[in-house]
Amino acid sequence: MKLGIVIEIFKNVFTKPMTVLFPFERIEIPERNRGEHEFNIDTCISCGACARICPNLAIKMIEVPSELREKYPKTYPQVDLGKCCFCALCEDICPKGSIKLTTNFYFATFDKDDTILYPVKAE
Amino acid sequence: MSSNSKNISLEEKLIKNLNSKLGVPINFQKERRLWTSIDSDKIVDICTKAYEMGFEHLSTISVTDWLEEGKHELVYHLWSYSYKLLLTIKTKIDRKNPNISSINSIWGANAETCERECHELFGVKFEGNPNLTPLFLEDWEGPPPFLKDFNWREYVKEEMYDQNNPREEVYFEVKK
Amino acid sequence: MTEINEQEIAGDFSMYFGPAHPGSGNFSIKVEMRGERVLKATADPGYLHRGFEKLMEYREPMQNAVLSDRVCVLEPLQWNLVHAEAVDYLMDYEVPERAKYIRVILAELSRIQSHFIWYAAMSLGTGFMTGFNIAIGYRDYILDVLNLITGGRVYPAGYICPGGVRKDLPEKAENKILELLPKIEYMRKFALKQNPAWLARFKEIGTLTKEEAIKFGAVGPILRGCGVESDVRRDDPYEIYDELEFDVPVMDEGDAYARFTVGMQEIEESMKIITQSIDRLPKGEVKTPNLKPIVQFQKAEGEIYIRNELSRGEGAFYMVATGQKTPYRVKIRGPSFTHMIPILEHLLTDVAYADVPAIYWSMYQCPADVDR
Repeated sequence: MKLGIVIEIFKNVFTKPMTVLFPFERIEIPERNRGEHEFNIDTCISCGACARICPNLAIKMIEVPSELREKYPKTYPQVDLGKCCFCALCEDICPKGSIKLTTNFYFATFDKDDTILYPVKAE
Repeated sequence: MSSNSKNISLEEKLIKNLNSKLGVPINFQKERRLWTSIDSDKIVDICTKAYEMGFEHLSTISVTDWLEEGKHELVYHLWSYSYKLLLTIKTKIDRKNPNISSINSIWGANAETCERECHELFGVKFEGNPNLTPLFLEDWEGPPPFLKDFNWREYVKEEMYDQNNPREEVYFEVKK
Repeated sequence: MTEINEQEIAGDFSMYFGPAHPGSGNFSIKVEMRGERVLKATADPGYLHRGFEKLMEYREPMQNAVLSDRVCVLEPLQWNLVHAEAVDYLMDYEVPERAKYIRVILAELSRIQSHFIWYAAMSLGTGFMTGFNIAIGYRDYILDVLNLITGGRVYPAGYICPGGVRKDLPEKAENKILELLPKIEYMRKFALKQNPAWLARFKEIGTLTKEEAIKFGAVGPILRGCGVESDVRRDDPYEIYDELEFDVPVMDEGDAYARFTVGMQEIEESMKIITQSIDRLPKGEVKTPNLKPIVQFQKAEGEIYIRNELSRGEGAFYMVATGQKTPYRVKIRGPSFTHMIPILEHLLTDVAYADVPAIYWSMYQCPADVDR
């Protein structure tokens, strides 16, 4: 019994720790991880299905800024990450695959307005 | 397949047995699920009989608020460790005068706690339950919150809505 | 039991255990003390009441599947499963065989990681930080696999959805799960080591008799620790549990140690279930073909009471549909509801204050499914 503990201690001295040194090493994030949204406005058909299924009402269909309205005349989804629960129902329901959840999960910010994802960024 | 049919015949026997002992018609919903509907004044009597027959585990007590009918439906789910069957006892009480006798003589503190929850969330009064103090809600002065005619949108808008936060507005738009 | 006369003796006072205590969860107990003895305890839930039952009346089944994770932090996949089964019955969905196997594998993985948390919480409560760190570390290996399969470490966000599962298993997921098993076995043996301090804290503490346990509505490991052989997976089989071989561990003592030991023995049974299911995992679809992207109870009418064996015991959904888009009424029966209020109040009468953490954590608490 006591010898078993000694053997275990020696084993643990020579094995790698369970944790990683975070900023220098990172654990692998799987492909399916549900993180920040990636939106492709060019394939979007403005069907509004993502806004319809969103359980937290985080997606709202809005118009793009006036200077881009000629190119994108319809309404497009704007995601409020403050309300989002990262369920990926919008990804599943999108008929064109325009909205996708990526592996990025670094959301910390100092400005509340940064948490809103606009369909296109105004210049 | 043969074992399945054997089970069903066993259940049929049991239903007949239950019928005669409880004195109420027992219905078959699916495998291992039986239900019955009774008058609200017989609830203690039927529950005692069911307990003596072996339905020992009070799984939960639930209330359904049938607004159009003007009734509250109380649903008691009893499980039997010996028969491996779930018996659901349903009873309806008036919505305006929601009174029913408590079953704490059979299940003690377990039934009392379930009834406390129903009292708090639906306003059902259980006669004979000495402990109907609020369970979850603290300093709640509004009507019982789980009633169908309780308008939570209005209540929240008056009591706790931050008018200056435009991002909250979307929660108060009524969806069709 | 002694009567409490208010402030008769200088040593009479009452105080709160929790909710800010590390590990007590969002739950508190008001204890009335005489010196070092606890005379009476009153449970005070409600710190985590989110009104899920009301909230679900306003959402459609697919959105509720996402919400159903949140019922309990420690076993979200199993709550997913209960909800999905209730909708499957009401909507008459035929779940494909492969989806059933995936559901069972994930539910059992979820049970194992939940039992690790139990060990971690018990260690933390009794001041054994090494046990806490090791258990949380080994749980993380399971979370890595859950992240690979469901896309979330803790919350699967409705991975087990009505009509099957949302996505098929990724490549090599079976191997990843099988690689986990030796690690789980190591952790299980570690948790069951005969530690004298552990035995002194948990043996013959908080004893519950068989009759009391049944009367108070105890379920799961708490009930099996009192000598009642009852497991929903065996008595009321759902999914594919009737085709699998596993034992139901039972102990007769009814004390804190027996409850905990039953829980740790269950891990072994869960591992058996996982190996069997992976061996037999069939190929095919994982979603029922008539599943639409937006699920509504438009044609469904009726009601169902679905019971499942969660890691804490019997968890159930009572769902009524009346042909509207959303369910008319949902009732969630959390397994901790009876453990945390009537049984805890019963066990915490006339005990030493030093035993309160041991009894509290041996009840396998989850305040989230008490309050819902």
